[in-house]
Parts: sequence; C-alpha cells; structure tokens
Amino acid sequence: MTMAVARGGGRSSTASYYPQVIVLIVLFCVGVIPPFVFLAYSSLHELDPSGAFGAFTLGHFAAIFASRSFSSVIVNSAVYSLGSALLALVIGAAQAWLAERTDAALRQVLYVSSIVSLGIPYVLYIVAWILFLGKAGPVNAALQHMFGGTEPYISVYSLGGMIFVEGLLWSPLAFLLLSPVFRNSDASFEEAASICGAGLLSTLRYVTLGMARPALLALGLLVFIKASESFEVPALVGLPGSTRVLTSTIYQRLTLDMPPDVGSASAFGVLLLVVMAILLQIYGRVVAQTHRYQTVTGKGFRPRVIRLGRWRYAAGALIITIPFIVVVIPLATILWAALLPYYQAFSIKAVPLLGFGNFVQVLNSPSFRGAIVNSLVLGAAVATLVTVLSAVAGWCVARRVAGARLLDGLAALPLVFPAIVLGLAFLEIFVHAGSRLYGSLLSLVVVSMVAYMPYGLRYAQLGVIQIHPELEEAAAIAGARQARTFIRVVLPLLIPALISCWLFVFLLAVRAVSLMLLLAGPDSQVVAVTLFDFWNNGQVGELAALGCVWTAIMTVFCIAFLVVARRYQLPIG
Amino acid sequence: MLHVENLTKLYAPGESGGGIRDLSFDVAGGEFYTLLGPSGCGKTTTLRSVAGLEEPSFGRMTIADHVIFDAANGIFVPANQRRLGMVFQSYAVWPHMSVFDNTAFPLRMLRGKRWGDAEIRRLAMRTLETVGLAEFAPRSAAQLSGGQQQRLALARALVAEPSLLLLDEPLSNLDALLREQMRSELRRLQKEVGVTAVYVTHDQSEALALSDRIAIMHNGRIKQIGTPHQIYHQPCNAFVATFIGRSNLLRGKLLERNNGQVRIATALGPVLCQAPNDAGGPPPAAALIRPEHVVLAAAGQGNPANNRFHGRVCQMSFLGEATEYVVQIGNVEILVRGMTGQYDGPEDVELYLPPEKTLAIAADEI
Repeated sequence: MTMAVARGGGRSSTASYYPQVIVLIVLFCVGVIPPFVFLAYSSLHELDPSGAFGAFTLGHFAAIFASRSFSSVIVNSAVYSLGSALLALVIGAAQAWLAERTDAALRQVLYVSSIVSLGIPYVLYIVAWILFLGKAGPVNAALQHMFGGTEPYISVYSLGGMIFVEGLLWSPLAFLLLSPVFRNSDASFEEAASICGAGLLSTLRYVTLGMARPALLALGLLVFIKASESFEVPALVGLPGSTRVLTSTIYQRLTLDMPPDVGSASAFGVLLLVVMAILLQIYGRVVAQTHRYQTVTGKGFRPRVIRLGRWRYAAGALIITIPFIVVVIPLATILWAALLPYYQAFSIKAVPLLGFGNFVQVLNSPSFRGAIVNSLVLGAAVATLVTVLSAVAGWCVARRVAGARLLDGLAALPLVFPAIVLGLAFLEIFVHAGSRLYGSLLSLVVVSMVAYMPYGLRYAQLGVIQIHPELEEAAAIAGARQARTFIRVVLPLLIPALISCWLFVFLLAVRAVSLMLLLAGPDSQVVAVTLFDFWNNGQVGELAALGCVWTAIMTVFCIAFLVVARRYQLPIG
Repeated sequence: MLHVENLTKLYAPGESGGGIRDLSFDVAGGEFYTLLGPSGCGKTTTLRSVAGLEEPSFGRMTIADHVIFDAANGIFVPANQRRLGMVFQSYAVWPHMSVFDNTAFPLRMLRGKRWGDAEIRRLAMRTLETVGLAEFAPRSAAQLSGGQQQRLALARALVAEPSLLLLDEPLSNLDALLREQMRSELRRLQKEVGVTAVYVTHDQSEALALSDRIAIMHNGRIKQIGTPHQIYHQPCNAFVATFIGRSNLLRGKLLERNNGQVRIATALGPVLCQAPNDAGGPPPAAALIRPEHVVLAAAGQGNPANNRFHGRVCQMSFLGEATEYVVQIGNVEILVRGMTGQYDGPEDVELYLPPEKTLAIAADEI
C-alpha cells in the first residue's frame, strides 16, 4: 500500500542542508501548485465566451447545491464506492486466504490470473463485461432461453452493474495486497487457537480475520477511494443508464453538455478534491493503526498451511471459479468480439464468420501503430523520470534531511486529485497559460509525472528505509563524500526497489484513460484513449483487436513487475 | 500420563534428514519433563506431534490411556480435540483481543460443556490472578510487555485445566534477568496447579533447574533419559557428557575391566575410571571428568600413583567465584576449576584425576 501516509524509518539525522532538496522542492512546487490554483480560480470565476476569465462568482457552487440531481449524484457516488470496495474486499480476501494459508487445490492459478488481469486495460475490461452482460450478451440470451420472453433480464447500465464491474476490476489488486498480510502472519496464532479447541471456522473467524481486520479496513478504504475517483466505469457503464457520480458529472459538463460548462465542472472538481482530502486523511490514520498488532515473533516463525480436509476440493472449485469470472470471461468475450467482423452474442451460427480481419486492420493502420508507440514512449519516459527523481527525493525523505517533510508533503499532494480532475486542471493551465505544450506528447509526460510522483516516491522511500543508515556512515568514515556514497552505496542497494518502481509507474501511465482523455491531441494518441474513442464510435471489433494486442504486450510487463517484486520481497502496489 | 511409543516423523530419508526417529518415552502424572537438545535435534517436532500440530509417520501416543495417535490404526485426533494447554515460543498472544478475551477463549471453545458468561468470567479471572495479570484484564494484549505476554500465554494454556501442558522454549524471548525470574515462577505454578508439563528447550541450565526428568535428544533420537542429577553425573555417552556442563573428554581404548572399574588408554596415558554404565552396549572408550573434580597441585607435591600427570598452566580465566585454568599436558588441554589466586602465570603443575570421579563412557559419534 504505497499510498500510506506513514513517515518512518531511520534515525532522524541532525538537520543538515542539502542543495538538492531545494531544487526538488522548487520542481515539485512548479508541478503541484498550479493545478490547485487554476482549478480553484476557474471554479470561482465566470468564463467569457472567448475563453478568458471574467468576474468573480460563487454561482457555479450555488448552482450545484441548488440542482435537484446533486443529492442523487452524492448518493450514487457513495453507494457505488462502498459496494465496489466490499465486493473487491470479499473476493480479494477469500483468494488471499485460500492461496496463502491453506492447502487448497490449484491455488497457484490465482497468482497467474491476477497477474494477467493487471495487464488488461480498464476500458477493455469494462467493455467486455458490457458485452457479456448487455442486452445482446450471452447472459441475457441464456436467461431468455430459460424463462422465455424477449426483454433483457438484467441491465448492466445500472448502479448494480457499475459496482459489479468496478469491484471485479479491483479484486486482483485486493488479492495481491492482502496476500502478504496472510503470508506474513505467524502460524502460531492459529495453532494456539487450535490448541484451545477452536475448529477451522472458529479459528478463521476469531483469529485470522480478527488479526487481519486493520489491514482489511485499510484496503477497503483504499478501494473506496479508488472507486470514488474512478472515471472509466462511471463513464462507460454509468452514463448510458444516466447513473451519474461525481467524476462522470465532471466529464459530462465538459464534453457532452453543449456548450461545455468549465466553471461548473471545476466547482465539482473542487468538491471532489475536498472529499478526497478527507478520505486520504482517514486512510492515513487507518494505515497507522495496522502496525498496532505487531508482536513478538519466535525464532521458529513459520507460516503454516491450514489443512482444509474435506473442504479442500470445495475450495479448489472456488479457486477455479474466481479467475474464471475475473479473467477468463472478459478475455474470452473480447477475443470473440475481436474475431467477428461485427459484434453479436455467442452462438454456433456465428462461428463461420470468425476471422482475423480486425487484427489485420489494426496492425496495418499507421495511426494505431502510432498509438501503441506513443503509449510505450509515454510510459517509459514517465517511469524513467519519476524513478530518477524518486531515488533522490526518496533518500532525502527517508533520511529526514532538512526540508524533507515539506518535500514529502508536496509530492503527496497530487494524490487528492482524481485523474479526471487533474486532467481538467492541466487543461485549464494549458489553455490559459497559452502553452504550446497543449496536445503534445510532452504535455502528457508532464501531467503523468505529477500524477505518479507520489507512488514512485513511496517506493523509493521504502527501499531506502531498508538500507541501514550505518552502511552510509561506514562509507563516510571510509572517506567517501555524500554524492559518492549515494552512487556507490545507496544506489546499488536501491536498484531492486527502483526497478519495481519503474515498472509500476510504467503500468499506471499506460493504463490511464481519464488523465489523458481531456489532454491527448491528434499527435499524441495513446492506446487507452484510442480504445475509449472506439467504444464511443461503436467500433467494437477494432477495439477488441487492439485491446488483445495491447493486453499481450502488457502481460509481459506485469509478469516482469511481479517477478521483481516477489524476488526482492517488495510491497506490491 | 503421556505415553509415546516408536514415534517417527521423517522429512527426508537418511540420518541427516531431520525429523524424529523411533522415540519412546513416558511422562508420569504431575511430572515436569524436559526435552533438551541442540537446535534441529527434533525436540520441537516431538512436542508439536504431541500437540497434534504435526502428523507423525509412525508410532503411537496416548494421554491418560486415551489414544490420540496410532499410525497402525489410522487414528489422529486433531489438535483442537486433544484438550491440551500449550505455550508457544512467540507466545502467540492474540493482539486484537483483550487480556481477558485471550484467557477466556479456550473456555468459550470447549465442546460439550457450555459455561455461562459468569462462570467463564470467574474461571478466567481466577487464572489471571494466579499469573498476576488480573488488573490487566480489560487491556489490549498488544500493550503488554514481553514478560506479561508470557504470563498471559501461560494463563491461556492453563485456564481450561488441561491434563497436559506443553511449553515450546517459552523463556527464549525474554532477557536474562526476567528469564531467571520466570523460570522459578514457572516451576512454582506447575507444582501449584499440579499439571503435567512437557517442556522443550536448548538451554541446559533451564533444563537442569526446572525438570523432574530430562530426555536429551540428538539427531532425532533420545540419547539419555534421567533426572538432572543422573544426566549431569552419570552421562552414558560422549554426546550427553559434552552437551551438559563443562567436561574433559579423553578418547581412547579400553585396556582392562576390574571390579566395576576400567582402565582406558588415552593420549595422557592409562586412566583409571568408574564404569557404572558398563553393562551391555558398546564397551567404554573414553574417560570423562568435570573440571571441578580435577585436583591441582604444585609440581612435585603429589605422590606418584594412578591418574597423576605433569602439565603446565597455559591459560586462565577469572570467573568471579572461581578461576578456570587450562593445563597443557603434551598435546592435550585439560580444563580445571580451581580457587582464584592459586596460580597466576605459566607454572608447572601436577594434575590428579580422582578415579571415583572419573567416568568411563561410550565414545559415540558427535
């Protein structure tokens, strides 16, 4: 959980002054402060038809609070986030417990499926579920076949549909974040319960889940936050059924309403920022609580596997079912769509139509190839720059040099920005500051750096904390100067953390839609945005084919990430 | 009380594969029984097998004549139905529960017997009082110090009045002072409650101070079973002799047997020894004498007789109440515990190994 607001580790060194801290603070200020200023400013000012700011007004906020739909937007947001968090938590915790604490059959399958699912772009995943559960999808077809009638039985374009898809989307990450919690818990806690006469279910209920409660709460809150700021599901699943939440309302004000209402969108953005700030504050407290349960660990520490006995095969069945739902169904649906010239529900009749036409078209089109190249360049550039800055900043924060707290706080600020709001804020900056950056790939790099710096910094900081300060002190005693110590001692030890930091930021950067949606221009099309446009244009076949190609490329990166993370026992995510 | 027969659990084939081999022992009711041995000797595996946390490959175990494990008949009573008490090395005190809830847990889990809340409260508080934690009952267990967690773990293990209490190196996580204190308290509690205890440790002083009987283990086998006194004074093989206490072990060859005494040819020359264990088994082939039994005299003072040797003090360490000297005789170094100030430099001395204190033992592999 790299969003942890915890500051820890290392002895606080004597306040010493480092020029690089000043440089970093200035740099971070330039990246972080303007979005706040521009967003707040445009939420409080009229906008002239020419696009310039007009008079001061509280009208945007007043209109929001006066509108009848406002309360329904708030309620929808809360229900959607809560439902998604609960669903992801239940699926993730069940998987983590089965995989880490029991001898359930086939538990390795869970890791493979989670890794693969990390590589599927959000848009592709969501589209797959819309196709699968939609009017023409196989589920409704089967229900109609069984119970008769021609009306669809379930509507995916609903609050329930949003919760279902968003919950599933987060369940693999919930699993990956919870599995170390179960893995690292000393088996003797459960053995003690067994000695005391508790059976499998009592042990699970009173001891295993009881001890994991702070971690479960923290993770639930994390998914709640992520769902609150999510954009893809609200836009693709929510908007067609007019189920609006805060993020999709912002998008609607900007792109679907005519004329676009930037002032109102900004006001919504400011409200969302306030909500996020409060949630993150709570999250920080909850995470701090998770360390409360640390206890003495015996020398004979061993995470023991619980024998499920006759439950073993029931658990095996569950283990097959979860990845089937989380990965196989969406991928199969997408593959089916990719091989068809135009989309139709699964049927034997459609099999002769299957072919590689969509793949040929996608791979031959220069603009699609351009999108793939742009995405990779963007991801690599952002990951590299963030990693380099994080290595230096992470060291300063972990070693608590003078100004480190300011640096830490500044770098963490972008966390309060939901991606769509950060996109909006930078849109305003580029428009009003008259920058030539607007629409260029470079602008996307800058925005992504600001957005992902907090994650990179947390990775590097955790990496530095694991390096004992005495290693550096020994180098100093041996006569090495600061810079030399950093290069010769700190960096080599930090490499695994930095590799995994690079891969993590890379994956975040290429997956993002909402951050790029408002900013990408004709010269800077990226895959995620292209997929989104395909869906809005109804080009399901091309979407699916491009999605398949992209998922294959991303799976390689995901596997690399997890191999590195596991090898060096780094916290994932 | 506890009866263990041919208990075997192998992790890998071969002598060095770990696990336990063919263990048989009996623990009497109310006894404090210790499994002592170096790490990896299988003592913890044995304890966990008794607890039901590991399933052995062969053998049979009964507690008060109830079969809890019998490989031949496929009987394995799971841990949660054995009704034992156990204190773990890490204490395994549940940090998310209060001190009281930790203690009451076994009472709440007991099958067959349904106790009311008031009864549970009374029993748990009584046990907490016994270990001196009554005032901490409402506190979170995570707030307790190491010593208090240890007491809580003991309270939890005792509260349901188990017939057998298992202790897995419970003192190893405490600092030295607290360890001494807990040691005597543990002994007092065990006698007071009257519970039969099986205790696992690698610390010989703990084992000697606490136990009624000790089983010394090595490489998955029991090397000797006896009272602390027997183990120290009459070790029956070289492993036990060197593992317990300080010792001088002179390997050699049996020269002659004579009226319960034997003569062994060692690097020092022939040494006359007692041979109380010389019945059956391999012939004794080593002489053992504890440093405190070696007699030191200035060169030329002793009468030439059996077991007298000339040497030179080559090293000494001041231990406070005594001084330990290393005396070199040829290539052999002999440890001697002597009075402080007896010698203070390299001096020629005469050593006497009293035959009644010198023991002939089997020189097994170590």
